[in-house]
Amino acid sequence: MVLVSLKVNGALVSREVEDETLLAALLREHLNLTGTHVGCDTTQCGCCVVHLNGRSVKSCAVLAAQAQGGAVTTIEGLAKDGILHPVQEAFHQCHALQCGFCTPGMIMAALDLIENHPGPLTEDVVREEMEGNLCRCTGYHNIVKAILSAARAMRPTEAAAE
Amino acid sequence: MVMYPTRYHRPRDVCDAVRLFAAGEDATYLAGGHTLLPTMKLRLAHPSDLIDLCVLAELHGISTQDDVLSIGATTLHREVADSSVVRRWIPALAGLAASIGDRHVRNRGTIGGSVANNDPAADYPAAVLGLGAIVVTDRRRIAADAFFVSMYETALEPGEIIRRIEFPIPEQAGYAKFRSAASRYAIAAVFISKRGAIVRVTVTGAGSAGVFRLRAMEQALEKDFLPASVALSQIDSGALLSDLNGTPAYRANLIAVLARRALGRLGEAQSYK
Amino acid sequence: MLGERAFKAVGRPLLRNEDGRLVTGRGRFSDDFSLPGQVWAAMVRSPHPHARIAAIDPSEAMAAPGVLAVYTGADCRNDGLRPIPHNPVPSTRFDVKLTGRNGEAAFIGPHHLLPHDKARHVGEAIAMVVAESLEQAQTGAEQVSVDYEVLPWVADTSQAAQPGAPKLWDELPDNILVDSTFGDAAATDAAFATARHVVSMKTHIGRVTGVPLEPRAALGNFDAETSRYTLYAGSGGAVRQKHELAYVLGEEPERVRVLSFDVGGNFGTRNRAYVEFGLVLWASRKLGRPVKFRAERSESFLTDYQGRDLVTEVSLALEANGRFLAMRASNLSNVGARCVSLSPLSKGSGLITGSYDIPAATLRARAVYSNTMPTQAYRSSGRPEVTFAIERLIDKAARELGFDRLELRRRNLVRPEQMPYTNAVGSVYDSGEYEINMDRALRLADWQGFPARRTEARSRGKLLGLGFANYVESSIGTPKERADLIVRPDGIEVVIGTQPAGQGHETSFAQVTADLLAVPFKSVKITLGDTDVVSAGGGTHSGRSMRHASAVIALGAEDLIARATALTAHLLDVSQNDVRFEDGVFLSVASNRAFTWFELARHAEQPGLPDLLAGGLWVRRDNEMHTPVFPNGSCICEIEIDPETGATEIKRYATVDDVGRCINPLIVHGQTHGGIAQGVGQALWEHCALEPSSGQPVAGSLMDYGMPRFDNLPSFRTEIAEVLSPTNPFGVKAGGEGGTTPAPAVIMSAIEDALSDFGPITIDMPATPVKIWSAVHQRPTDKAAA
Repeated sequence: MVLVSLKVNGALVSREVEDETLLAALLREHLNLTGTHVGCDTTQCGCCVVHLNGRSVKSCAVLAAQAQGGAVTTIEGLAKDGILHPVQEAFHQCHALQCGFCTPGMIMAALDLIENHPGPLTEDVVREEMEGNLCRCTGYHNIVKAILSAARAMRPTEAAAE
Repeated sequence: MVMYPTRYHRPRDVCDAVRLFAAGEDATYLAGGHTLLPTMKLRLAHPSDLIDLCVLAELHGISTQDDVLSIGATTLHREVADSSVVRRWIPALAGLAASIGDRHVRNRGTIGGSVANNDPAADYPAAVLGLGAIVVTDRRRIAADAFFVSMYETALEPGEIIRRIEFPIPEQAGYAKFRSAASRYAIAAVFISKRGAIVRVTVTGAGSAGVFRLRAMEQALEKDFLPASVALSQIDSGALLSDLNGTPAYRANLIAVLARRALGRLGEAQSYK
Repeated sequence: MLGERAFKAVGRPLLRNEDGRLVTGRGRFSDDFSLPGQVWAAMVRSPHPHARIAAIDPSEAMAAPGVLAVYTGADCRNDGLRPIPHNPVPSTRFDVKLTGRNGEAAFIGPHHLLPHDKARHVGEAIAMVVAESLEQAQTGAEQVSVDYEVLPWVADTSQAAQPGAPKLWDELPDNILVDSTFGDAAATDAAFATARHVVSMKTHIGRVTGVPLEPRAALGNFDAETSRYTLYAGSGGAVRQKHELAYVLGEEPERVRVLSFDVGGNFGTRNRAYVEFGLVLWASRKLGRPVKFRAERSESFLTDYQGRDLVTEVSLALEANGRFLAMRASNLSNVGARCVSLSPLSKGSGLITGSYDIPAATLRARAVYSNTMPTQAYRSSGRPEVTFAIERLIDKAARELGFDRLELRRRNLVRPEQMPYTNAVGSVYDSGEYEINMDRALRLADWQGFPARRTEARSRGKLLGLGFANYVESSIGTPKERADLIVRPDGIEVVIGTQPAGQGHETSFAQVTADLLAVPFKSVKITLGDTDVVSAGGGTHSGRSMRHASAVIALGAEDLIARATALTAHLLDVSQNDVRFEDGVFLSVASNRAFTWFELARHAEQPGLPDLLAGGLWVRRDNEMHTPVFPNGSCICEIEIDPETGATEIKRYATVDDVGRCINPLIVHGQTHGGIAQGVGQALWEHCALEPSSGQPVAGSLMDYGMPRFDNLPSFRTEIAEVLSPTNPFGVKAGGEGGTTPAPAVIMSAIEDALSDFGPITIDMPATPVKIWSAVHQRPTDKAAA
């Protein structure tokens, strides 16, 4: 067993877990944050993406113990006081979700892209950089629109190229 | 599946890591974990102990000295891709790192982990071999030509830890790969470098024994470092992989095409699918 | 038909009610549910395609830490568990009637939760281990020792239909469970005999799988105090599965409660019950603990019900001027090891002539068992296959006989004045403007501008191809639907038995209800998925949902308005004739008083009302509709091929889809986008490949099964056409599957066009780079790459 202490959505949590516990399992099963989903077993679908120390990671391929002392943000940590984060709002406005299963990981991935990609975001860049997230429902068309829309809202000084 | 039980350790330093390794029944080093943990989840690996090397700052970092670019073993793919130092001195290496996996993988995967694992379709082995790098471990310096033994097999001894990889800075280098639509790993990829009169051409993704050098193509390119020097006859398709992604003939063709494309855009890494 | 009226909500791209919980991580998917004391199940699966189960030794597993029980097919039989009543033969009034040879009923082998005799496909569950933790259950499953007697097997569709092929079922003389013919053989033969031209084609549309991103999961709990079973499991229809599972368990349906809340994608994979759903309920009763099962993605690849797999031979007889005279088709559907649903073969059979006026046709429809995972309906069940056949055949005819492929189509399209049109196999197309769709699509795709784009591609060393396909498809589906419309002081609730997995029913059904009752859209809430609340309903498949829901809600709204009128009359002590319903308000002309729905609801809760009006302001309405509708459209794409690598890139993709009345264009466009992706996926990347010498599935994970991703699809240009259907009040056809139906045909049409310089080449889907390159360079592909 290992004692893991870390910040999750701003709150300090500590749990004693089996050494092999994955971060995704810590979130879903120990902290009851079921918004992060598990969609595959080969680290390829992106449903489990969360932020660890400010960067997107696949929580199904990170041990909870590896997150010791770090800060994790999950989908549940984005909206503040009932107000949707701009990325969440953009997904809603652009109909960028259907069944919603890939959506939490997709939003966290999009947020990382918008926050950390150094250059301007175009459709080509978005499609290239989001290859790690699968969606089976939307055909990606509206998710691209949502990400470009959220980027414009969050990067007002930059005229996003179409 | 749920992984078999294991024990997780945070070593104090490299010596402590080696000691912990020796003390375990069947220990494994953990770096980015994006190869090891999925393998454990499939229950194809069952290490008794996991020793987390990413907690060791001494294994992390990028620096240059004279004409050598040195990258610490736990440096992330994203860090190599974004590094102004790597982009200045070996831009094809930065581009190669930027093409590994996807952005989430690049936030965890490490160069040391990739090189120690020697997946036959991994990108870094092509660069390490293709630049004639030195793999510096906790106990010795291993030349790239001696390092990659066969697929998933390297010259590392049990418990040996890669500290850093030292890349001689080339005059020119380029990388071109063609990816499987499913796995996004290379069906074939070619790394080419030129340093003085020496040309190195390496291929990953296509060989039945992992990354390899294409000596015949190197010789042709040493005569004339141009795409027109590349010929299919320089490639022995008998040693190439055959699977759902490609026949040997197809892979041989890809190698020739990718070599020309790498030569046509030196200083870049191109990723096709 | 509802008279044309001003809709306030219907037809508008309203944002979805579902989104609030889904974008904030508060969805309720199957694996999100847990119960105190729950234990875990893991399955023992056959590694052989065909093997007798000689003996199962659970002793080592039983001794493993945490293992509580090991169950086998013998245990199921001893407890009297019945097979799952899949009822695979479509049997609504207008379904094509499939039978076995000589008109006999098709032989449907029983699908027990666990077989006791043999395993009939790789991955078939033959035992279940239950343990305290999932890790212990999986470890226990590894330790169950099974003595298999390996049997000869057959996986290939055509081979399975050969006499002498290894047999799956002793009850059949071979593996052929369906062999029916349709159409007019005499007229067809006569037409072929005198036709100027005959063109033929044989192709195999391969096996794919749905890959919903939520792997299936089930939590079963038997409550000894109430003697009731509760199942939390995403499905394609909670009501149907409640009845099926109750039957399996030998219980009255009311003893079973199924809860399907948020469902992470269906596409057909969840339309039928899985053995694990019954097993966890049964095990929960035996153990007195809740039992949870969660499939790994690799288990999903192996044992989700799969899709397609049709061998089709088609011939077209043409006059000298290109008029179609007759068509012959022989379709062979691979149902896998068990018959779960014959919907693909049946639906496809009714549409072999596609969008074209072909006077005579004969079809032989056969279904065959094989040692593969069972197949069933998958996005546009059966229609992409037959659309592929007719559209590719027409392309072939155009090429070989020197016709322009668009002109050849125009000359033969069913014309609007022919509607309702009965095709040569008896399907009655309700309405459609096929040529107008074609013209709209050609403009949308800038067909005229293609030559310049091809020249530009050539300047970069690339080959650009232009593909075209028309389609007509059918939406039938379970004919019955029920809606409860309940008015409360604070809002309106509609309880309905459809089962969305992303189609937005909580939004679009609210739009329909809001306009029928003239209330604000935001005041309507849709309730789905809990069979203790949803008493009846047909689930979601075959594009049935909006058509059936809007119809039954429309009828229910009439009933509700009548009831509210009566209540108003009673409250105001006037005659019902004096009461008018206008703009959401019930008013009495005489007394100049009015009630809103919500005021009436408050009154309806009061005691002292006459019996007929007591019990609240609500109605329950059932409806049954058998008449199918026929969504249709045209589709154009451009694909750029890199001849050096065989790589493909879709540069443009445009569609015009006639969905009948479009309730919410935002949702319908989204369905089209997703449908396109699945059809394109089959054409370019997806295949449930088997190793030919062992019958082992090799595409068992996302490492080997190529998927549509952000970077291999373009943005789409989609337009909606609304040619109302005369068959239901709102004129709805369906919008969920038209994106998929023409996609395989249009992609292969574009690839063929791109490679036209190289002469006739045949590439089987998925058209991967190695296949394209090998075809162009005339190299034989290895078996491994086939």
